[in-house]
Amino acid sequence: MAVLLVLACAMPVLAGVSVSGKVIDAATNEPLIGATIIVPEDVLKKAGSNVRNVNALTDIDGNFTITLPDGVDFMECRYVGYTPESVEIKGDVKDMLIAMTSSTTELEEVVVTGYQKIEKRKLTASIQTVSVNDNMVGSAMSIDQALAGQIAGLSSMTTSGAPGASPKIRIRGTASLNGTQDPLWVLDGIPLQDTELPTMEDLQDIDEIYSTSIAGINPSDIETITVLKDAAATAIYGARAANGVIVITTKSGRSGAPRVNFSTRLTVGPKTDIDRLNLLNSNEKVDLELGLLGSSFTYRENKGQVARIIEAAGETNAYKTGGWNALSQATQSQINSLRSINTDWNDILFRNTFSQEYNVSISGGNEKMTYYTSVGYNDDQGNVVGVEANRLNVTAKTSYRLSRKLRVGAALFANRRVNKSNLTDADGFTNPVYYSRRANPYQLPYNADGSYNYDIDIQGREDSDLMFNVFEERDGTDYELETKSITAIFDGEFRFNDEFKVVTQIGLQLDDANKEEIADADTYAMRKDKERTTLASLDNQSFLPDGGKKTASSSVNRQVTWKFQGEYSDVFAGIHELELMGGTEIRKTWYESVNSTGYGYDRKTLQTKPVIFPNEEWAELYPLYAETYSENAFASFYATGSYTLLNRYTIGGSVRFDGSDMFGVAKKYRFLPLYSVSGLWRLSDEAFLNEKEWLDNLALRVSYGIQGNIDKNTSSYVMGDYNNVTILPGNTEEIISVSSPPNSRLRWEKTKTFSTGVDFGVLNNALNLSVDFYNRNGSDLIATRMLALESGYVQMLVNWASMRNTGVEVSIGSRNIHIKDFMWMTNFNFAYNANKVLREEIPSNQTTPGRVGYPVGALFALKSAGLDDEGYPLFYNKQGEVVTATELLKLNSAGASTLTAEEQRDLYTYIGSTDPLFSGGLTNTFTYKNWELSVNFIFNLKSYVRCTPSYNPANYDRGMNSNRDILNRWTPTNTNTTFPTLMNSTDRPAEYIQYSEFGLYEMLDTWVKRNDHVRLQNLRLAYTLPEEITRKANMERVTVAVEARNLFVFGADYTNYLDPETMGNEFAQPIPKTFSFNLNVSF
Amino acid sequence: MKRMEKYKAILKGLALSGLVALSSCDNFLDIQPTGRVIITTAEEYRSMMTEAYSIVPEDRGLATFRSDEFVLNSTVAQEDLNSYLDIWRWEDVSPDATTSQFNWRAYYQVIYEANYTIESKDKITEGTQVEIDQLVGESYMLRAYMHFLLVNLYGEPYTTLADPYSSKAVPLKLDTDPYNVLTRSSVGDIYDQILSDIDSAEEYLNVETWETGFNYRFNTISVDALRSRVYLYMGKWEESLAASRRVLEKRNQLADINSILPNHYTSVENIVALEQVMTPYYDRAGKVNREVYDMYSSGDLRRNKYFTRQTASNIIVAKGGSSEYSCSFRVGEIYLNAAEAALENSESGIGDARNYLLAVMKARYNDSYYAEREAVVNAMSRDELREEIYAERFRELAFEGHRWFDLRRTTRPQLTKTYSGETYILEQNDSRYTVRIPSDAVAANPNLAN
Repeated sequence: MAVLLVLACAMPVLAGVSVSGKVIDAATNEPLIGATIIVPEDVLKKAGSNVRNVNALTDIDGNFTITLPDGVDFMECRYVGYTPESVEIKGDVKDMLIAMTSSTTELEEVVVTGYQKIEKRKLTASIQTVSVNDNMVGSAMSIDQALAGQIAGLSSMTTSGAPGASPKIRIRGTASLNGTQDPLWVLDGIPLQDTELPTMEDLQDIDEIYSTSIAGINPSDIETITVLKDAAATAIYGARAANGVIVITTKSGRSGAPRVNFSTRLTVGPKTDIDRLNLLNSNEKVDLELGLLGSSFTYRENKGQVARIIEAAGETNAYKTGGWNALSQATQSQINSLRSINTDWNDILFRNTFSQEYNVSISGGNEKMTYYTSVGYNDDQGNVVGVEANRLNVTAKTSYRLSRKLRVGAALFANRRVNKSNLTDADGFTNPVYYSRRANPYQLPYNADGSYNYDIDIQGREDSDLMFNVFEERDGTDYELETKSITAIFDGEFRFNDEFKVVTQIGLQLDDANKEEIADADTYAMRKDKERTTLASLDNQSFLPDGGKKTASSSVNRQVTWKFQGEYSDVFAGIHELELMGGTEIRKTWYESVNSTGYGYDRKTLQTKPVIFPNEEWAELYPLYAETYSENAFASFYATGSYTLLNRYTIGGSVRFDGSDMFGVAKKYRFLPLYSVSGLWRLSDEAFLNEKEWLDNLALRVSYGIQGNIDKNTSSYVMGDYNNVTILPGNTEEIISVSSPPNSRLRWEKTKTFSTGVDFGVLNNALNLSVDFYNRNGSDLIATRMLALESGYVQMLVNWASMRNTGVEVSIGSRNIHIKDFMWMTNFNFAYNANKVLREEIPSNQTTPGRVGYPVGALFALKSAGLDDEGYPLFYNKQGEVVTATELLKLNSAGASTLTAEEQRDLYTYIGSTDPLFSGGLTNTFTYKNWELSVNFIFNLKSYVRCTPSYNPANYDRGMNSNRDILNRWTPTNTNTTFPTLMNSTDRPAEYIQYSEFGLYEMLDTWVKRNDHVRLQNLRLAYTLPEEITRKANMERVTVAVEARNLFVFGADYTNYLDPETMGNEFAQPIPKTFSFNLNVSF
Repeated sequence: MKRMEKYKAILKGLALSGLVALSSCDNFLDIQPTGRVIITTAEEYRSMMTEAYSIVPEDRGLATFRSDEFVLNSTVAQEDLNSYLDIWRWEDVSPDATTSQFNWRAYYQVIYEANYTIESKDKITEGTQVEIDQLVGESYMLRAYMHFLLVNLYGEPYTTLADPYSSKAVPLKLDTDPYNVLTRSSVGDIYDQILSDIDSAEEYLNVETWETGFNYRFNTISVDALRSRVYLYMGKWEESLAASRRVLEKRNQLADINSILPNHYTSVENIVALEQVMTPYYDRAGKVNREVYDMYSSGDLRRNKYFTRQTASNIIVAKGGSSEYSCSFRVGEIYLNAAEAALENSESGIGDARNYLLAVMKARYNDSYYAEREAVVNAMSRDELREEIYAERFRELAFEGHRWFDLRRTTRPQLTKTYSGETYILEQNDSRYTVRIPSDAVAANPNLAN
């Protein structure tokens, strides 16, 4: 060093040193455009130069020229995503070649937002990226299933265990009360259509098979997932991003020799065990039915096999008066024979599963072009017999450098996916999961002669003459959804010069879904249709032709998105960095669906028969054809900018105007303004911290943004939909149906978000910590408001509430131990989200409490106080007194409460929220030589769910099975219990009506249960073959792994339920436990 | 210098992209959604009113199960028993969960659309005043008729009340304000409003006869047809009789039962062909009560026209099950209203009463049977004649949605039904002659419990 200094001093004054050369990528030899050549300040000082700043940028060919002041013998070359290169200078140099290697250290990385690539060091927003690999995805069929517990602030609730079923994903809590709460998904810059989940509010949704476009993406094609959380990050996406954005970046080819990757995963899953449901066995069920028949409880008295046997023998009255001993020997033995049957419904309805997945990809390229091509196939079986899904993916991505200035790329994602399920009847009685809880244990599926034995207790008051048999139904029905989907993305980039470029992108998405529902003649579903259409005037025949039925529906979802934007970036005087971007985006979407039904269908001949309707009324009730069409258009303008001073102070802003076609809404609402401002202070680059060797990174982030939204489904005018109606024969007229009264007080929905965070990295990034805090205030939110039915409507949408989401997110990544051959890493993320409704306009007719001061998912219940001496529930009123339902609600003779709505609201007590207060995940990864073990837990804590009661004390249907709570019900001899007596309508008619019609029982706090849980989501052991061996076999890398998913779950008490997550839904398929073998080879 | 050039390039690029975007944007966003419309023109109001007509509930048909017209037995489909058995046997406290419900909201949805038309009568565009007036008149009629049906399902019968103004029935909805949460109005107030709405309708209506196919709409004659019924239900005989007479001045022809059923929508006596009453579902579910069938003598032409007798016990209704048999008001009813009102109105009215009754009989009986009955009727005392009018009313209007309301407003007798060995009794003056307000309506508006 001293020698160098001496040399420098000996140089002639004012001469300077001229250096020129080229900066290239060490791996690809491609020139790097816009790399900075800079002389650090301290070097200038040391050299005694007056100049504070010396720098240059590489041009479009990667060339640079720089003149260094005298005495400077050292400069640095920096480029985003690459390790800085230090270069020693000894006099003038020409044609210096600086080869930079891409770096993996945190700060040099770039974050892909879908619109831009932002250097992490300038990142003012709350954005988190995870890289997608075998370990993360595991045996999940689609990427959304794999996100649980990976990212702080992203909560994922599994709603069904069916293969490919999408979980409910929320980013930073619930933002909106109406419309979608699902995040926006973006594939390589193009927002995807058709990603919304059904609301799951009614059971039609559960039996309905659906497949979102996310389910069509092959996880093994994905490189990274980036989650945009705060307003600074999402504002650029406009109104659709109110629920956060998930950006998928797919794999691309890299320059170099072709690289082939093959992976497979074989998964087995043991059968669901319904022992947890605690259902009655045959003996218990027979005793229960006998007991009830002798009691005063008369609801559906003739239901159940026991009542039928006694009735057939004509001994009902004898039994009621004389009991068991009054029955004849033959009847007694018939009943007793039921006790010995214990049909294993678990075995009939559920199965062991075997699923398989194969992926092959080839990628590579050279200076002029890169490519990535893959084929994937995935076949998943569901635990419920008949439920399965498969998917075939083909992906092709290429990128061309046509000239020094122009780069174009094309990507094609095609997939075909098939989902199969059981066809259930319109009422959901034949849903297999529901049926597993309701089928009688003494019910045999087959008669002795091998014919079907029908279940006639399946629904209703009377024995069903429709006859249901699960095997017949399974054989005779088909329910299949086939989706063909193509997404094509073309992009081009033209670089005018070093600072300015324009980028354009066109995205096309086409999803074509075809659904087939087939019911053969001999099925419950078809018999139900036949019975409903049987007319006395047709000699008690149905007007539907003999045979089955087939419903074919197809829907096509299309979108075109075109983005065009200009980007400018420059550095002034070495310390001012400016980036500007502005652009426009237009999008158009189309949706059409066609639904047609044929009767008299025969699968062998593929023929249907004409339906001769007796009159137009019947024809309207059984439509054979229906069609819908809609289109929407969107146009947006957006801009972002950021300014960085001294590489450590950054301020940024973004603005977007979102326009869309609006109807029934004033034009002033056509364009929505959205904007955000944000700032970053990188403390670790400050002089006072710069010296601290142990500190790698310390930064503070702050952002604030406003979003407006207008609900397109409401209007301040009386608006209607055209339709046709035939009131009198032969005269079809146009009608306009008004589906909701106008929202006369329509206003903007506004959301203001404040977010701040700290990033902290120490000890050579052995510990990385990020803490984020946010506060999101939504005001004038649109929500559904229940109306008094005298308005003519059930509900309408109004600007109605204000809500706040406050949350803290913590992500910790630590390298706990790193010694030779062994490494232990922990990733922990934790999120706290408190949601509070700040203002809510309570309609004067609302009888349940308002949520002001409580979370939006607040559950309220009536405090139960045990049972009275007749076995009826008792309640605590607000004064803490124990009262009956009649006293609590001041019931009139018709069973309705005579309290005012306000007084009724006051009866309830807040229990908890349906949304977890705490959620997150913990992953520990241990690496020893070539072995890797990872353990991944996810948790959702402090959440509640309202469950369906074990039985309804007024309407208990004895024809079906139930759990053992019914055995512990109050009777004169069993008074020490919390389960109420079965009620007789004549005893306390007013209370009876409350329990049978107003659903009083499920409003008891007994049925609001905690569904906290910690799930061992993934346990994976992987072994990578030593390089020596793979080399010999001409392979690059070979990994084998075994994996267990959902091995166990610790939860709050979930007795009588299969799973804490599906507790609230008796129809949902349980979440499966699986074991996989995984092989990954690349060469 | 170099930098300046750069900026020029940038500016050019931005200007170009901005221009492209702005010029095409507004057109691009002007999409007329398929099938959506803001209601402004007379034609659109008419389409909305057509919808209102199309959703008028068929509860007069459902009420047929509560009266003594139908029997349910083991030959009835299980699905239908699930839906109607508990209505039929008046099991109101613990109906099975599958039981059908009398409507509530649908009435008020019709009323909403009627109210909206009434409120905007001065804002309707592109229509002649005559067209607009007719729409407004029909709206008043629909509002009156919906309240009339509601008060007769859910309110105590006017005729049995000492003070109709103290007995609460259903809310009167006279505006479109969705936030207005109402309380129940008294039976008296509701009837007053109905009469006032009919008066308003009279001022606006101008179409006397609608073309076939459109004759579900209210016309000028229907004003007095509805008055005739409303006053009859109030026991205001003089007003009812006067209204009936005004109807009969314009329309007095009874259908030739040999060629057409009187409640057929093209029948000469059909005044408003709105309600189907016996929908395909109701028609299919019930069997005609043998006792009802037996009320028709063999000389009564209606017996074989009204009913199809499959077997001795399996008799089905032939005058329903399709929209062909849509009828809310018809001349036959007006004659019987007039007969009853004339009889009750004054001592001297008995002659008129006989004449009105005989007019119906003449049209419905064969000649010999008519001659036989004419003599009997002419010899009847006042009380006998009243019974005969009731009986003829039952026979003439059976399964047209009158019987349950007639039972309610007249004698409220004890009814007995038997199903599967069990006997069910509706006591005389039983409180179940009034239907309980649906629990979902009470849940949405607790005021209804008081």
